[in-house]
Amino acid sequence: MTTKFRRGAAIAVAAALVGVGLVGCASSGGGTSASSKSYTFWDPYPQFDQSAAWTKLVESCGTKAGVTVKRTGYDTTALTNKALLAGQQGNSPDMLLVDNPVVSTLADAGILTSTAENKLDTSAIDKNIIAAGEIGGKTYGVPIGANTLALYYNKTVLKAAGVDAASITDWATLTDALAKVKAAGKKGITFSGINTEEGSFQFLPWFWGSGANLTQLDSPQAVAALTLWTDWLKKGYAPNSVIQNTQTTSWQEFATGDYAFGENGTWQLGNVKQAGIDYGILTIPAESGGPAAAPTGGEFLTIPVQKDAARYATTKKIVNCLTSTANFVTTDNTLSYIAPTADAQAAQVAGNAALKPWVDAVKAAKGRTSDNLGTKYPKISEQLWTAVQTALSGSQTPEAALKAAQTAAAAAIK
Amino acid sequence: MTTSAVPAKRAVGEKGGATSVAPPGRPAARRRVRSGQWAAWAFLAPVVAYLLVFYAFPLYRNVELSLKDYTVRSFVDGTAPFVWFDNYAKVIQNATFWPALTHTAIFTFVSIAFQFSIGLALAVFFFQHFRLASTLRALFLVPWLLPLIVSASTWSWMFNSDSGIVNSALEALGLPQINWLTSPDWSLIAVLIANIWIGIPFNLVILYSGLQNISGDLYEAASLDGANGWQKFWRITFPLLRPVSAITILLGLVYTLKVFDIIWIMTKGGPADSSTTLSTWSYRLGFGSVLPDFSPAAAVGNILILIALVFGLVYLRTQRKLDPS
Amino acid sequence: MTRRRAWWKTLLGVVLTAIMLFPVYWMINVSLTPTTEMRKSPPDWFPVHGTIEGYLAVARDQLPYLGVSLLVGLGTVVLTLVLSAPAAYSLAKLRPRGGRPLSFILLIAQMIPAIIMAMGFYAIYLGIGMLNSIPGLIVADSTIAVPFGVLIFTAFMNGIPDELTAAATIDGAGAWRTFRSIILPISRNSIVTVSLFAFLWAWSDFIFASTLDGGGDLQPITLGIYKYIGNNNQEWNSIMATAVVASIPAAVLLVVAQRYVAAGITAGAVKD
Repeated sequence: MTTKFRRGAAIAVAAALVGVGLVGCASSGGGTSASSKSYTFWDPYPQFDQSAAWTKLVESCGTKAGVTVKRTGYDTTALTNKALLAGQQGNSPDMLLVDNPVVSTLADAGILTSTAENKLDTSAIDKNIIAAGEIGGKTYGVPIGANTLALYYNKTVLKAAGVDAASITDWATLTDALAKVKAAGKKGITFSGINTEEGSFQFLPWFWGSGANLTQLDSPQAVAALTLWTDWLKKGYAPNSVIQNTQTTSWQEFATGDYAFGENGTWQLGNVKQAGIDYGILTIPAESGGPAAAPTGGEFLTIPVQKDAARYATTKKIVNCLTSTANFVTTDNTLSYIAPTADAQAAQVAGNAALKPWVDAVKAAKGRTSDNLGTKYPKISEQLWTAVQTALSGSQTPEAALKAAQTAAAAAIK
Repeated sequence: MTTSAVPAKRAVGEKGGATSVAPPGRPAARRRVRSGQWAAWAFLAPVVAYLLVFYAFPLYRNVELSLKDYTVRSFVDGTAPFVWFDNYAKVIQNATFWPALTHTAIFTFVSIAFQFSIGLALAVFFFQHFRLASTLRALFLVPWLLPLIVSASTWSWMFNSDSGIVNSALEALGLPQINWLTSPDWSLIAVLIANIWIGIPFNLVILYSGLQNISGDLYEAASLDGANGWQKFWRITFPLLRPVSAITILLGLVYTLKVFDIIWIMTKGGPADSSTTLSTWSYRLGFGSVLPDFSPAAAVGNILILIALVFGLVYLRTQRKLDPS
Repeated sequence: MTRRRAWWKTLLGVVLTAIMLFPVYWMINVSLTPTTEMRKSPPDWFPVHGTIEGYLAVARDQLPYLGVSLLVGLGTVVLTLVLSAPAAYSLAKLRPRGGRPLSFILLIAQMIPAIIMAMGFYAIYLGIGMLNSIPGLIVADSTIAVPFGVLIFTAFMNGIPDELTAAATIDGAGAWRTFRSIILPISRNSIVTVSLFAFLWAWSDFIFASTLDGGGDLQPITLGIYKYIGNNNQEWNSIMATAVVASIPAAVLLVVAQRYVAAGITAGAVKD
């Protein structure tokens, strides 16, 4: 009996060793320590695979700098976590392309180099676009392109309702137009009011357009902006689904052709033609007329801290290559973004006149983390989208929702 | 009465095993105890090693995260100050805590009640041999083949206030539109429905294999005694299925406490926290905004672990009571 | 049983399955819907203006990844069985001292959020160079299934009458032989159950795949979905199409396995 059980035990132990061995063997096979000729590049564009033009461009810039670049695309939320985790483990990529509000977070975490360290020249970049990457007087990274929000409108629907798009100059005229559209049996406006950063992004043009400021969420102006949205919902000018709409869902609603207006971004320009909608673009109006400041979207190319400082020189070459005027134009046309420099913008408009209103919109746009909000912005934004949700779903009045948001935001950033 | 079948089956077996039956003091018996222990642990060794290698670190990490005050910077350079239970205190005082706890309780109990009873009913139904039974039962598992992001998105698609199929069906029946995901009164119900749907196959499969382990002779004997289907279910199936039912419910409990993806994808815990559970809250704190707040997130996660711990103890208690030894 | 009653049950079974699978049908419907129709109100019950655009994209981009998913799924099954069945036998039948606390730990281990597990694995794998590898993914995926496997096996093995193992012990069989020649054959049903879930979890896993294999050349099909989730835009018909395509081979496998197992059990019953 004893020998038999010993054999059993021996097999069980052997099984354990196989398990450990599996781990042990693998450890000998190739580490992740990057060689001096191999550079890593992470971006939030998982939609581009190895054969995509974007990958080719990144690789060719590496080749020009005399190294190979391995590009990997991650889902945008996964990328932030992954960047923090890699930073913690001392395994950051050589180049990291991230959504602009994330730059302040990563800079705060100490995993990005500033332009003072990496010697990138950002003087040609439009001031309002680079602002999202400026924290505490230092600049982290270069914008690869920018986008912003505007109102897409459906000419067919407006015509049927007897609305002239040119007459829409402020909130009152826009609401009147929505009333007419609804009376004509069509649907008014769709936007994204989801409880994520997307929701804040979409609400900000109205928030700023009322004259409100992110440091005071419960100001009368802010209440006016939220009341505007809430009233649209109450009167049936906007569908109830906006409360959970992402920008994609909202776009799908506009793409049905039933809606007069859709608040959406530069990146839908290619899709609107595909949807076969006879469309026009309106800048989002401020409360009392004129264009409202819309938030800038788009990604920043950053250079994370490396153990080996000698790598920065090559990395800088690759970054400069990717941010040359010609490459800005190629990249931003692919992404349906607007380039961040005047030269590249001019080249884009020369190639496609339809981009003109978007270039103007981007020039008027404002960074979310600007005004030196930095990492305070995410805290404020979270309260802002919560307030939008609370008010739109009817749980609280806009006043009460924003008051609660201000209290919570003040507590979170103190 | 309910346990009548169990002792009948176990009476012959020496449930305590050789070890506890042997009176202490005799050398041979003691050696046997020791060798039995060696064999027992030899069989356990791989799993113990596995647990140590793969679970100890994450578990330690989760506790450490919750006892220190991490910012993104200290997350990266590892210099967070030790703050004892500050994060826990902060979390419990937060306005979201009590609603989240209540929603967790409702979500968990309602989910399990429905998943288990529907799963059991289906298992009994499919256990009767009819044409296509095994194929149809296999098809019940198809929802599990889909990544949660897809199945949860499909549910939010179906529940969409304006273009969802559910509302379209309600309207066809002359009923008013329900704002499933966008009304604070309905959001928890909507995510519950989706979660129950996801959980049914799990309960069905485990309970079904539990049924397979019940000897057919018992049913035959009961038939001879003139028992009808209903009586057979309550006197044979249900009591004999108890150990499997207990573990199914316990595992269901642990998995349901943990559920965040379905809720996160469908409502993000909203609107206005109306479908926030502890696990979605934990996720929101840690990963929901651009600026992660790891420490309170880990604290909420650990509170959940504590809740599971309590239920685990309850389970052990009932198991011990069932054990004749 | 009369034939008439059996037909009635088949009909009911089909209806129940249809209700259960309605969301899956809806997913297929969406996968065939062009973007302009996706949020049509009221929605179409059938993809009347269907497009196979999503499927063309999937056929172009995704098929090679199916093999990786299959490999990861089967690997997870094997690893889970090898680790959990002996452990459960010990817990259920050999009654080690400290067994109860161990099952308790197994239960609690499952409460650790997957994302924390993934972060832990990332640190471990980075150290030993197992990032972006299939064995790495198998080990990570098995962490969902191993505690489950041990607990389920224990519950089932507890139900095996002790007289069976006692008889073997009297015959002079050691623990290992008892396990192999008595416990394992009896546990066929629970082996199938555990394998099934181990496979399903590995097949549909997302978090481990994206954290640990995000940069790998050999990726499971679930990551393929990310191809259609851009920074600003999601191509839902392609996402749904990927899920449909990804679930077909696995669904066939499930149905075939179930039939095979059902046949095996009947054969076993005849032998008794």
